[in-house]
Amino acid sequence: MKYIYLLLVGSCLGVNAYAQDDLSKMFANDSVKTHEPVIATYKSTRIIQGHSPETLKKRELDFRVAHHFGDLGGESGGGKTFFGMDNSTDVRIAFEYGVTDRLMVGVGRTKGSGSLTQMYEGLAKYRLLVQTTDNHMPVSVTLFGNVVGTAMKSSRTKSDASHFEKRSDRMSYTTQVILARKFNRNLSLTLLPTLVHRNRVVYMDENDIFALGAGGRFKFSKRLGLLVEYFYPFRSQESKDYFATQGKKFYNPLAVGLEIETGGHVFHVNFTNSTAILENQFIPETTTTWQQGQFRWGFNISRRFSL
Amino acid sequence: MKHLVTLFAGLLLTISCFAQEIFSCRNTTLSFFSATPMEDIDAVTSKGVSAINLKTGAVYFKVAVNTFKFKKQLMEEHFNENYLESDKYPHAEFKGKIIDIIDLHKDGTYNVTVEGTLSMHGVDKVYREKATVTVQDGKPAATTKFNVRLADHHIKIPTLVVKNIAEVVEVTVKATYSPS
Repeated sequence: MKYIYLLLVGSCLGVNAYAQDDLSKMFANDSVKTHEPVIATYKSTRIIQGHSPETLKKRELDFRVAHHFGDLGGESGGGKTFFGMDNSTDVRIAFEYGVTDRLMVGVGRTKGSGSLTQMYEGLAKYRLLVQTTDNHMPVSVTLFGNVVGTAMKSSRTKSDASHFEKRSDRMSYTTQVILARKFNRNLSLTLLPTLVHRNRVVYMDENDIFALGAGGRFKFSKRLGLLVEYFYPFRSQESKDYFATQGKKFYNPLAVGLEIETGGHVFHVNFTNSTAILENQFIPETTTTWQQGQFRWGFNISRRFSL
Repeated sequence: MKHLVTLFAGLLLTISCFAQEIFSCRNTTLSFFSATPMEDIDAVTSKGVSAINLKTGAVYFKVAVNTFKFKKQLMEEHFNENYLESDKYPHAEFKGKIIDIIDLHKDGTYNVTVEGTLSMHGVDKVYREKATVTVQDGKPAATTKFNVRLADHHIKIPTLVVKNIAEVVEVTVKATYSPS
């Protein structure tokens, strides 16, 4: 009898001891929150020139400045232009705004590089799907589109790309699907199927050009990452051959850069062979190549404000 | 046999009595505040969990770091990505004990001292802080305010934003418990 009593008291004490020491166990079976969105696939809304899956959050304003300098090497580079620093091939200044946590819009003015200059741009970007930490959604999908018009004076030469018969001849459009995955805290990769449509093009050029872009980031530290971006435009062989006879050869834009975050600012310092900044130009119209020193350094500055 | 019945009755009573010693709260509010001449930063969550044992004075709280909400979304992203690294260290957790000898079964307001370990950003540190426990109708509620030195938890502030983020942030915890 005594033993049973002791035993019971003992077991009872055991229960007590368990209960008082480990309050954390009470919450051990709490359902773990699932489908958490993956954050910060990139630090900015751009990889280098192309878009990242990121959008601005609601009521955020992003002031952006992008700059491409002149050729670093080759004929127009070298010491006499201080390695391209004396020239600027393209400049873009833009304001972009987060309407909701998923939708952003923007307006920008770009100098333009190639056959057209004085470019005005309106853009919209919508974050359709967000990758989740539990891989319920393995990728992020963002849609991007822009409308670009040139304000330049129409050329009198009818064969020029800048000869505008009507207002719509001034317009071009980019539509893009941004597929991205953050593989781990250091590595993010992105695919960018893109369609560039230009209402007016010169003889043997193509109004619609499909391109596949690929980009990625590798972070060395919390605030410093290496960026790479490449676009492969699917221009037809006939078109390439024709322009080759005119002495014009197209190249695929390849850019490498560094992403540096300093609190509210994100700086990109990059090198690229494309002179233009807008997709509408650098995808179909890049005629400069890394191999002849025709690459340049450029930068993006992004300053985000919460309104 | 009679003894055995008495014994079981007593045992049942003790168990039920034990059960009422522990109170929990699944909507514990945690907030923190960083004040500098440049910028004030505050964030709050009400998704913390907490428990208290009235008999032993054991206290516990835990919070998912990524539930903190900031006024500026970009801050929230940086908080999770760069400072607290919530992908690596998803929770902050405190395990401690009220070291004063106080009977918390009686209604009243008690100023107590809690000692325990705060585990945050993968670093454990022992804290001894003041807290207030209010017991009303046998149900306790607790509040505390204490300072956390970011460097103690290996949270590094880059020199560029060193003027915007305080070295010491004030953490507030509020929990209203119900029997569990």
